[in-house]
Amino acid sequence: MMKSGKLAGAVIATLVITLAAAVAEAKDKVKVGYIGPLTGGVSVNGIGGRNSAELAVKLRNADAKTKYDYEMIVLDDECKPNVAVQVATKMAADKEIIAGATHYCSAAAIAAVDTYHKFGFPVIVWGAVLPDITYRNKYAEIHRVNGTMINQNDANAELIHKLGFKTIAVIHDTTDYGKGHNEYFAKAIERGGKAKIVGTFGVTADQQDFTAELTQIKALNPEVIYFGGLTPIGVRIRSQMDKLGLNAVFDGTSGIVSDAFIQGLGPLAEGTLAFREGAPTNKLPGGKFFMENYNAQKYDNPPEAYGAFAYAAMDMLIDTIEKVGPDRKKVIAELANVKDRDSIVGKITFDDHGQNMVPVITKFVIQDGKFVEWDESEYAAGKRKLPGQK
Amino acid sequence: MSGSETPAKRDGTARPSSWPAIASIGVATVYLIALLGAEKQSVIISLLVAGIAAVLAGGWFGIFGGVSRAFSEHEDRMGLLAIVALLAMAAWFHEDHFVLLLVVTVLLTTVATLGLNIQFGYAGVLNFAGASFFGIGAYTSAVLNTTAVPHLLVPLIGGALAALIGSVLLLPVLRTRGHYAALITIAFALLFKTFLEVNDVLGGPQGMPVKGMTLFGWSLNDNVEIGGITLSFYMSYFVLSLALLAVAFVLVRRLERSWIGLNLDALRLDETAAACFGLDITRWKITAFLIGNILIGIAGALFGTVGGFVGPNNYTFADSLILVSILLLGGIGNPWGLIVATFIVIVVPEKLQTIQEYRFLLYAVMVICVLLFRPEGLLPRPVRRYFPGWRP
Repeated sequence: MMKSGKLAGAVIATLVITLAAAVAEAKDKVKVGYIGPLTGGVSVNGIGGRNSAELAVKLRNADAKTKYDYEMIVLDDECKPNVAVQVATKMAADKEIIAGATHYCSAAAIAAVDTYHKFGFPVIVWGAVLPDITYRNKYAEIHRVNGTMINQNDANAELIHKLGFKTIAVIHDTTDYGKGHNEYFAKAIERGGKAKIVGTFGVTADQQDFTAELTQIKALNPEVIYFGGLTPIGVRIRSQMDKLGLNAVFDGTSGIVSDAFIQGLGPLAEGTLAFREGAPTNKLPGGKFFMENYNAQKYDNPPEAYGAFAYAAMDMLIDTIEKVGPDRKKVIAELANVKDRDSIVGKITFDDHGQNMVPVITKFVIQDGKFVEWDESEYAAGKRKLPGQK
Repeated sequence: MSGSETPAKRDGTARPSSWPAIASIGVATVYLIALLGAEKQSVIISLLVAGIAAVLAGGWFGIFGGVSRAFSEHEDRMGLLAIVALLAMAAWFHEDHFVLLLVVTVLLTTVATLGLNIQFGYAGVLNFAGASFFGIGAYTSAVLNTTAVPHLLVPLIGGALAALIGSVLLLPVLRTRGHYAALITIAFALLFKTFLEVNDVLGGPQGMPVKGMTLFGWSLNDNVEIGGITLSFYMSYFVLSLALLAVAFVLVRRLERSWIGLNLDALRLDETAAACFGLDITRWKITAFLIGNILIGIAGALFGTVGGFVGPNNYTFADSLILVSILLLGGIGNPWGLIVATFIVIVVPEKLQTIQEYRFLLYAVMVICVLLFRPEGLLPRPVRRYFPGWRP
């Protein structure tokens, strides 16, 4: 106990010093919020988003021309609905917090939207892709900078058709995320008409062993295995495919666009397809600026796929507060007018549900341990063949 | 406090003073109000460290002996005082939605662990699916709150359903013992979550919203205004939860003291011996399992309504383990310990939000320390007292 006492003493001392250093300026303080999964299976994305949003706040505070001094309150939703409602209540009930960039997980976001509406708390969702979050209700408080899974799967099906694949097996996790992807992908494939889904397999999000599903898929002998789910089980499925000698193109969604996917699989990740809304970070007008500043902060984690969106969401909130002042109602009214707004993720236009209507979807393929844009890859040029391509 | 061993006490004319217990409740209330109200990282961590230091110092100087004696001598009075203290805490935070939500979570989780306590603590029936039965209650309220069923009845129906669905487990649980019985309940927890995920009627993996309660035409989800003071809408849920906890607490205490409790204790300590004395093992195991599940289900139904949203992710095996860990932390079989442990398990991780992704690390260290230095829990169950206030 002595040791832990000393440790706690040291922790307190450091905290007090950092706190004292932070309180130095004289501008009015305005609080903004950030919610994401900081613990649990998808915490890398939550931490990447947190760092990116924090970067937006830091850069703004460093600018002498701003009217306010911003402070970001960070809460952890653990990717769980009940915790999301709890932290959403905490943030929205705190009248000092004006607006928030919230949620990576769809299950958490959909649970919390009613709370935001009840408290009149304006939020911009930065990572959750379930269409219902913006479209189920018409809440003026809810906005979203990233696209929905509908656009993503249209682009995915288009590429499958273009490459001439005929048979597809679908594995999706049974969360709303995976089931949504399954639904919209199936619709997009059906519209295309040329390819066929030969089998659909739902798996739970924490499943470890996929031998049963993969053995059945092996018997179906599809050309493509479509996977609607997040990185942790994506890594397991891809590596177990290899163990079973299952040869097929691995076709993922935005859920696996994460450096952790490549780290988890090593060379096996080669040739995996994946899709994400918006242009790739380095292609954006502000992408280089974002990456340079992000790297300058020396964070332990990369921004991950949705970091740029978290940055854009936070940046837009601060822009709005600068313009209309720290007042929730005015912020909501101002966000309704967002049209063709420049941001580091491209132009942003909110429709009447607060949904950003970005049509841009980027197609990725993993080449030499990196996510490379499909059109620039050696696979598209015909120099290489996708692993498992028959 | 060593003065309590006076001759006056021996001959039964004077009972130990109740002041140590009253003072400790007062100190705990003030401390909790300070902790719940604290927002700054430095303040929260200093308060937590101060709390740990105070408890260690109290243990060192032997203050707690007097406190616990006073508690056991004047239990009814202390129970009333604890209710008053909680009401005072709620009055202090009457406008603060979030703190009230947190306190309501603590109260309802305590009711659920009281149910587990009957199973684990008294009868020795293992149940690692506590969160699943909690979930059954919550889903009941999600489904029934939209219908014409009177909302006050919904928690009771939730409790009944939890017991009913739980009775599916009776046969396998009765036929197995120890680790194997535990495995059956674990399997049930996993099955329950998967069942919810594939069941689209119940919202599937995405979960479903729960309508707020309406009592006699009065919606509990609206803020209350009395004479210019606005009370958070969580206040009404707080009062309801506190009433439920008080009833459940008295029930469990009476059950423990009664001959039923005596039978359950005998059953836990030695099944064979209990059977030799003519106790019907099966009957008492079923009784404990069902009463426990009813309490868990009622708490779950109310909690579903308070949270306003239910999803399968809330009722995983991991959540059941948290309930069990509250039981172990508080001291199996002691309802007073449960209240303390629930406060720690629910409030501390939430308060540590300020240190973001490291909070579970620090929290885990705290729990391990408690188990290391208090292996029987914070407040171990005292020796059974057949008659309160009676001395040989």
